Amino acid sequence: MHHQFKSPEGPIEVSVAREGDVWSLGHLEATLMGDGRLRIVQADSSVAFAHVAKVGDVWWVHFQGHTFKLERIEPGATDTDDGGGLTAPMPGKILQVLVTVGESVKAGTTLMVLEAMKMEHRIVAAADGVVTAVHFSAHDQVEQGVALLSLDES
Amino acid sequence: MVSKVLVANRGEIACRILRACSEAGLQTVAIYAQNDARSMFVELADQAVELTGDSIGETYLDQNQILSIARSTGADAIHPGFGFLSERADFARAVSQANIQWVGPSPEAIEQMGDKMTARITMRAAGVPVIPGEEIEQEDEDEALAAIESASHRVGYPMLLKASSGGGGKGMRAVHAPEDLIEAAKGARREAIAAFGDGRVYVERLLTGSKHVEIQILADRHGRTIHLGERECSVQRRHQKVFEEAPCATMTPELREAMGQAAVAAAEAVDYEGAGTVEFLLAPSGEFFFLEMNTRIQVEHPVTELVTGVDLVREQLRIAAGEPMSCGPLMIRGHAIEVRLYAEDASNNFLPAIGPLAVFRPPEGPGVRLDTGVREGDEVTPNYDPMLAKLIVWAPSRSEALQRMRRALDEFVVLGTTTNIRFLRELCDEEEVITGHTDTTTIDRLWPNGWAPSIARSTEDAALMAAAIGESAGLHRSQVQVSEDTQGPTSPFSTLNRRYP
Repeated sequence: MHHQFKSPEGPIEVSVAREGDVWSLGHLEATLMGDGRLRIVQADSSVAFAHVAKVGDVWWVHFQGHTFKLERIEPGATDTDDGGGLTAPMPGKILQVLVTVGESVKAGTTLMVLEAMKMEHRIVAAADGVVTAVHFSAHDQVEQGVALLSLDES
Repeated sequence: MVSKVLVANRGEIACRILRACSEAGLQTVAIYAQNDARSMFVELADQAVELTGDSIGETYLDQNQILSIARSTGADAIHPGFGFLSERADFARAVSQANIQWVGPSPEAIEQMGDKMTARITMRAAGVPVIPGEEIEQEDEDEALAAIESASHRVGYPMLLKASSGGGGKGMRAVHAPEDLIEAAKGARREAIAAFGDGRVYVERLLTGSKHVEIQILADRHGRTIHLGERECSVQRRHQKVFEEAPCATMTPELREAMGQAAVAAAEAVDYEGAGTVEFLLAPSGEFFFLEMNTRIQVEHPVTELVTGVDLVREQLRIAAGEPMSCGPLMIRGHAIEVRLYAEDASNNFLPAIGPLAVFRPPEGPGVRLDTGVREGDEVTPNYDPMLAKLIVWAPSRSEALQRMRRALDEFVVLGTTTNIRFLRELCDEEEVITGHTDTTTIDRLWPNGWAPSIARSTEDAALMAAAIGESAGLHRSQVQVSEDTQGPTSPFSTLNRRYP
């Protein structure tokens, strides 16, 4: 999966691959721990753990005594500010469903994550409301324009 | 007798004092400004009273309000901590007049030590060596400048101009050549008038390459005044200490005894009571000179506690209650180092930083002590001092203490707010620090153009991978959302994601 982060020298492209539980980038391999940390195996087989937290658009990472601030460049900013149309913006695959029927959500809450064109798109609630229907579940393929969920706006 | 202590402070030192009171079986009262309502120290007190007002002047510095809270809660002692009202003789006097025990020295002692020129004169009279220099008593600008000019010939260059009411580097100027003198003197006076309403500036020889070495003292009402050895606090940035240790690496038993006796003489000269610190400059020649006396508990007191086994705050409480201090003869065991964790960007001129403590995971294990007033989920705001915590380690030897400090700093995880952890960690690898040959110019000399971290490429790659996985795996979505309702609508941190590791 591709992500871009800001740096003083310009955007940095990061593509991580996933196979089962193992993520990789070049010679680095990582698995997710139950407590949210990452167990990272480096090229020399040494193991160290990374702590991560996201504040706003910034990923904070602590690794081997260093702390990094990595500001993520949101792919296609319009996808997150599209006024909350709860339809698929393009054909793709549902990655995650983050809400259940009956749940009250606030404006700005991410409801679903869709992967399309190898990019992630967040489906975001445009207003406060209650989820009345969820039409798909994770791993489902969806066509452009289909309704993904229904929200009763309060 | 003391049974209920009001702690007139906040943050880390308030926590330290409240814990000591709790251990001593004393009732406690915390006072807090509205923006501290959810701070840790408020929870540690038996009773907490909110101060009305917004600014520091209207809250933690409002003597009348604090006194009236002390009366209404039935507190019979006030511990001022450090900073805020701790060295205000008028407050110490008002507290005593209200028949409340002041945990500290008499207002007269605070006054005598608070005015730097008076302190120099008092110390000279007590036989304590002071830095070669001259007091300038003239208040009138022209007369003062003429007197400074005249003194400069006797004191010699390089010299230091210092405000008599000064502190924190304000009203202070180093002068290296006669042609710069008058401009520097005018500048120092201007700054001193603006900051302290007192333009008196005195002249001291600038002792380059000196160490900042201070002696901890304790004095009780039963005629006992003792010293508890030294702390070295040479490593400073912008006149603020960041790395403190006990004992001083280059100390000898003879010098310790001489400095200790001078400190005891200084304390006795002002009928000192309680805990205090006499600061000295230790020149490369082995000569030492009185710098100033801090009439309160000090930020770096834990290093002395760890090597002497004396609980200084507990002794303060004991002495304030009129009891004799409990410590026996001075015994120094092993080595202790303290570093001050600041929310600041060490790679950008140590600029203070703010933000949420999305992750705050201090190190643990043998020989590690953490004194802090924050915990995970708290917000670092611009309202108060950016010191987040003091990390203190003890080990049998100095080199083992440094090893332990490196290990502890590597374990320390703070995410969401920029800190100086990495700077402190790299400081521990510097030759001067390893050999103990630090002086007050160490940081400026090591990084004349500012500090920047040295990061291995593989570490950076791993961090980028971690962020990318975090995003892909949606780790932030499983994190607990905290809404910071104390933040204004324009705050960049109005929504934050917090994780329980």
